[in-house]
Amino acid sequence: MTKTFAQLNFPGRLIAVEGLDGSGKSTQIYLLKRWLELQGLKVFFSEWNSSELVKSATSKGKKRELLTPTTFSLIHATDFADRYERQLVPLLRAGYIVLCDRYIFTAFARDTVRGCPPEWVRGLYDFAAHPDLTFFFKAQLEVSLQRILDGRPQLKYFEAGMDMRLSPDPYESFRIFQGRILEQYLGMSTEFNFTVMDANQPVETQQSIVRELIADRIDLTSYAANNPGHRK
Amino acid sequence: MKRTSAKSKAAPIAGQQIAVVRTSKRRFYGYGIPNVDLNRLAGKLIVVEGADGSGRSTQIARLRDWLEGCGHATVQVGLKRSTLVSEELDQAQNGNILSHTTLSLFYATDFADQLENIILPALKAGFMVLADRYIYTLMARDLVRGMDEAWIKNVYGIAVVPDAVFYLNVSPEQLIQRNFAKKHALDYWESGMDLGLSREMFDSFLKYQGLMADQFKRLQSIYGFNIVNGDRSPDEINAELQRKIEAVLNGK
Repeated sequence: MTKTFAQLNFPGRLIAVEGLDGSGKSTQIYLLKRWLELQGLKVFFSEWNSSELVKSATSKGKKRELLTPTTFSLIHATDFADRYERQLVPLLRAGYIVLCDRYIFTAFARDTVRGCPPEWVRGLYDFAAHPDLTFFFKAQLEVSLQRILDGRPQLKYFEAGMDMRLSPDPYESFRIFQGRILEQYLGMSTEFNFTVMDANQPVETQQSIVRELIADRIDLTSYAANNPGHRK
Repeated sequence: MKRTSAKSKAAPIAGQQIAVVRTSKRRFYGYGIPNVDLNRLAGKLIVVEGADGSGRSTQIARLRDWLEGCGHATVQVGLKRSTLVSEELDQAQNGNILSHTTLSLFYATDFADQLENIILPALKAGFMVLADRYIYTLMARDLVRGMDEAWIKNVYGIAVVPDAVFYLNVSPEQLIQRNFAKKHALDYWESGMDLGLSREMFDSFLKYQGLMADQFKRLQSIYGFNIVNGDRSPDEINAELQRKIEAVLNGK
């Protein structure tokens, strides 16, 4: 499926943020959420890899290093499907603005870097409609790396891409892995119509651009909490 | 637990040459698993499909005795047996809270885990892999639930094409009798109760197994597996399976 929720005539709208760890995308989507809910709009926020049901399997797989590129991909697709079918779609039918911290493009980038055939990965997520707006937070690789490495120096195995044997040193492995993911994102940018944000700018500058764009593209008044969700 | 049937072929006596299995050309159904050298998979993959109560486990146990008696190393796999997700899958099913795509992907994860950690390494080591159901049951279940066929085929494109697939075809009426004889109860999922075909489990079971059999017939025309008449005695069925597997081991 390559249609957006608007094209599929859903009353709700889905906005996604994508980018490397440390690109500041989570901060931006949080501020966006605050702005929308303070206006009294119907907003829902969903995070990658957060389905309660699938979580225990994922964390077991990660902790015990049981995951291969294929099972890594499938288990994240399972997590996404659970959130998509049980939360995102019903809420979008009910006229919510749904904010997603990472969407299918995260899988397209990561799984491909891990060696899964790109067509296979895209096929897995073919049941999902595309976001109405996707912000890609593009920061210089070194800046993203520094933010992560400054903050929590204990890198996890899969997070650092250690499963790919890029380097025995987790930090070096993380650098190489993130660099490859960045390449994938850049390659997808035009194809999936990303709105590219300069993530090296101050938080406030970025947030005003985000808010302006959304106000411009989405008729926000129709998402008021007292609106039953039937838009003309 | 040895239960070699009197009618199954006698194991070769000591000193007799144990036949070495011929290797065959291998392929994946679709994109496959990254970084696997198919030419190095010397073992054989034999799949037995069929509903609960079709006699699958009995047949597989006998095939194992027979193959090991002939000097072949064997290993067994089945659905929902992976280290990675089998427990979680059980929990999810008990609560029946997963939607179709999620359940389907959960099963695919379970399958992939066993494929990469058991099936492929065993084939590489020259083992006979006996699979108690394979992707076809999973596909048939999804198809009965109205999932997109192209999507399902892409997901299971990771699977390696088996050397032989046997579908034990048993009429729904027979299946009911066998399930009752065994545990005096019908399984919720094997009765397709999630589909709301009927509020009565008995009716739902018959309808659901009928739908599954239709899908298996359709899949048979695509994947060309052997349909085995499962209404016969276990001995007769096993003799047929042995005959056909022997042909496979000899390179057809």
